[in-house]
Amino acid sequence: MTQLIDCDVHPNFSNGLQDLMPYMTETWRKRLGIGQGGLTGNFAASSFVLPLDYLYINTAGAYRSDAGTADMAPGTDAAFTAEHLLDTHGIDRAILIAGHLLGIGAMPDATVASTIASAYNEWMCERWLQVDDRYRGALAIAPQDPELAVKEIHRMADRPGIAGIFMPLHDILMGEKHYHPIYEAAAHHGLPISMHPSGTENVFARAPRMAGAPTYYLEWHTALSQIHQSNVLSLLCHGVFERFPNLKIVIAEGGFAWIAEIMWKLDRDWQGLRDEVPWIKRPPSEYLLESIRFTTQPFVEPHKKEHVLQLLDMVHAERTLLFSSDYPHWDFDDPKRVLSGLPPDLRQRICVDNAREIYGDRI
Amino acid sequence: MATASSPTGRRHVVARAADLPDGSVEIVEVAGRSIGVYNVDGRLYGLRNVCPHHGAPLCRGPVSGTMLPSDPQEYRYSETEEHLIVRCPWHGYEFRLDDGRSLVAPDRMRAKTYRVEREGDEIVLYL
Repeated sequence: MTQLIDCDVHPNFSNGLQDLMPYMTETWRKRLGIGQGGLTGNFAASSFVLPLDYLYINTAGAYRSDAGTADMAPGTDAAFTAEHLLDTHGIDRAILIAGHLLGIGAMPDATVASTIASAYNEWMCERWLQVDDRYRGALAIAPQDPELAVKEIHRMADRPGIAGIFMPLHDILMGEKHYHPIYEAAAHHGLPISMHPSGTENVFARAPRMAGAPTYYLEWHTALSQIHQSNVLSLLCHGVFERFPNLKIVIAEGGFAWIAEIMWKLDRDWQGLRDEVPWIKRPPSEYLLESIRFTTQPFVEPHKKEHVLQLLDMVHAERTLLFSSDYPHWDFDDPKRVLSGLPPDLRQRICVDNAREIYGDRI
Repeated sequence: MATASSPTGRRHVVARAADLPDGSVEIVEVAGRSIGVYNVDGRLYGLRNVCPHHGAPLCRGPVSGTMLPSDPQEYRYSETEEHLIVRCPWHGYEFRLDDGRSLVAPDRMRAKTYRVEREGDEIVLYL
């Protein structure tokens, strides 16, 4: 019996795009400049690199330093991760979200990003899903080109172990029509769509933008929830869940304490601004509670311990929260620590039932 | 202001008909209550001048039609009688002129309405 589902685990490449070589055509290897035996010059890259958090730096390391070895970078080996994460913590299911593709929504060439996503999906199936049957995959798509994304969803949806979709962040907010073909395909296959911080916020032109440019990693990392708030508001205000009532969205690593204020404020202001968005036919919080889920990591650590349960009550945790560890990132949550003080019923909802409700048989 | 009893409430003359032409509102004081008396295309309405949300002077807000529930990114405007609303001047909440119900929470939020009639040259409110 399933006891614990982890909805945000990152498989990583050991050598960047080179890892995807076996999953790409010769033409695309040429186009991306990979597999050509190293750099051709000293000062400029001659192959594509993956957009990640290159300008906001955690000098202590962005990964758990015990999640790898001298010869193996964290999160790069499915068997090691199965033992180190799943066995150690009693996790029965882990949803894989491409650790090194978090930022591909910022790439200026949509076809390049889509090709990388497709190759990643093959890599994930072969190198992870086939290694341990506790893994489930979020198939990656490139948000820049919805037509190619839809093709990829149809191509991958019925592969063994696929449970959802990972849609990297882009500079277009998630409620806009741009994404509607993707939502239609996701709803058609019953695949929830996860979004996740990209690492590229405010770094690249097509990455999500924040209010101003933070200076420090701590500042930037704490401000990431801005992006999730804006996307949740965009989804709700555009009436995406009126158009696609079966669509489920998972906000991974976006925080969740803020949803209380978002729900209250939307419900209050909607009563006076309803005529601007007449497709919102019920209090906006109802759509959020039905269709959007939030992963728990990084879990809240209020100054007063009793505030944890109060907060979980305010955000309807019994419906909205999905446990996640974010392994192998540095801000990993140990399920025993973060879930220890919860009443058993609520713990069961957060650890298993809420995920089962949206992922269904695929989990 | 003349008053008299009636089977449907106490009869209060609140205006002369000539003083309440089409498209106008008079805010009157009846038995200690502030009430908006409306003439919209010859139809008369009486609405308590207190917003049930935060107590704003509701009848100081504009009267209009409203956007009907619609598909995403489409608009359907109507100003037929059942879609006439007064919009609260503070937070913009919409209340139906005919029954005082809020459009978004009709069962929970409702402004009191009163029967208003034209009787000869008099506008009469029953309370």
